[in-house]
Amino acid sequence: MKRFQIPRGVWWVAPAVGILALMSLYPLFFLVFTGFHSISGEWTIRNFTRMASDRMLGEAFLHTAVFTVAALVLELVCGLLLAILIDSLRRGRAVLRTALLLPMLLPPVVAAVIWRLIYNPQFGLLNGTIRALGFNPSHLTWTSGEGGALASVILVDVWEWTPFVFLLISAALQGLPQESLEAARVDGASRWRIFFDIELPLLRPVLALAAMLRGMDLIRIFDQVFILTQGGPGFATETISLYIYRTAFRFFDFGYASAMSLLLLVIATMLARGLVRQLRPIAAREAA
Amino acid sequence: MKRLVLAVLAVAAGLVPVYWLLTISFKTEADQFAIPPKWFAFAPTLVHYKAVFASGSLESALWNSLIAASGSTLLALAAGVPAAYALNNLKWPAGWADSIGFWILSNRLLPPIVTIVPLFLMLRDMRLLNSIWSLTVVYTAFHLPFVVWMMRGFLAEVPREIDEAARLDGASPMRILWSILLPLVGPGLTATAVFSMIAAWNEFLYALILTQTGAASTLPVGIAARVTQYEIKWGVMSAAGVLAMLPVLVFAAVTQRYLVRGLSLGAVKG
Repeated sequence: MKRFQIPRGVWWVAPAVGILALMSLYPLFFLVFTGFHSISGEWTIRNFTRMASDRMLGEAFLHTAVFTVAALVLELVCGLLLAILIDSLRRGRAVLRTALLLPMLLPPVVAAVIWRLIYNPQFGLLNGTIRALGFNPSHLTWTSGEGGALASVILVDVWEWTPFVFLLISAALQGLPQESLEAARVDGASRWRIFFDIELPLLRPVLALAAMLRGMDLIRIFDQVFILTQGGPGFATETISLYIYRTAFRFFDFGYASAMSLLLLVIATMLARGLVRQLRPIAAREAA
Repeated sequence: MKRLVLAVLAVAAGLVPVYWLLTISFKTEADQFAIPPKWFAFAPTLVHYKAVFASGSLESALWNSLIAASGSTLLALAAGVPAAYALNNLKWPAGWADSIGFWILSNRLLPPIVTIVPLFLMLRDMRLLNSIWSLTVVYTAFHLPFVVWMMRGFLAEVPREIDEAARLDGASPMRILWSILLPLVGPGLTATAVFSMIAAWNEFLYALILTQTGAASTLPVGIAARVTQYEIKWGVMSAAGVLAMLPVLVFAAVTQRYLVRGLSLGAVKG
């Protein structure tokens, strides 16, 4: 029998694999362990059964779903329109493209701080401008009123991350086969026909990629909501991540927080599987 | 022409909020929230920037951010680049390289909130909370999938013949990586390093939970603490925000060419 030899590469990847095992794989096992233990340290499945009857969790889920879907749709539509708009310009494309990227490069905390300066109902930029124009903005409470808070937070995310979708689509547009677009134009196809029949189908993979990358980030949204509203007013903008954070680090119920984290992990994994399926052909194309 | 106007309007919508932050950071308190809002005509002051450095805690937060960002990037490159090289260029039994590479990448897809509870408990039990060095190691793990993924891509672009020729001449893999391949992928290596630094610089959730005392907290945590407390010092907070975004903008300008590839892995956001 041939003796098994450890491939030399093992030593080369060992540090990376070791760090990840310690900081990512082990915590996952620990998470399962914590999720199945009560505060007093006995084995229990109560943390999981409790989720079914937790109305706050249900609401946090609902907010996260609304947030994710609304922000995703708006960012895809705005990003696509912007990319096509900028692509159709004759001059200034490079400058405009660079300037557009600014919001997504900011630290998320800083982006949220900016919008606190804008949204503040008494002296923020928005209501200040409205007042200066002679209107009374007292019913416009933005992030401070239960009705509009979630929409206001969604708007901040759209502002911050539309550039990301724009960047991906913009790069894909430049890679489209110019010959077939030219041929369609010569054949007299209208701008809209070209867009819907040729460009949009060709952009499908990049749209799917953008949707999934954004979707992965949106379901775990934390930073901006934490700074803008802390989940309030009341419970109006509480998302899953915030609820897990509060459960673990305000109420110190690590078992229940772990159980909820596992649920979020399952959801994220299902999304990620779709993402990987989209990423693989793109990576292959890039390598070729 | 109409389209150019539309495009400029869209860019303005992106930039105006940032400009507003900039003005608030230079305005006296009386000017900050004047009605009508003062866009251009105000007497600029450096008071808030001086306050950032006078308040001690924000200055140390600045240093902590620098340590965590550069330290984690160096560590991640030191562990990640050899791994990327080995997965791409060394001999493996069938399927190993793909499986290991995929497992490394899959760590990127874990939501941070999922690992934060066990990490917090682990570090608490080892008495390693509230240390900028623990945070640096956590960030290293956070960068690794990204570094390996990016560097595999860049290394794959170098023609195989170069590697093979050097090996025929008797160079060791270490020598090949260090003296031949790395100089060839220099720009890609720089871009990877910059992206990692930005990600660590911008990161908030891990820092918030793992460094709760002022002494170890990073800049985003320091800013957040000033937003959520009862009385908000808008000027100081804005000045700190401007300081937090400046390095990111400089670095992003340097690596513009690689933005798409880097960002599609969520490089910039923590």
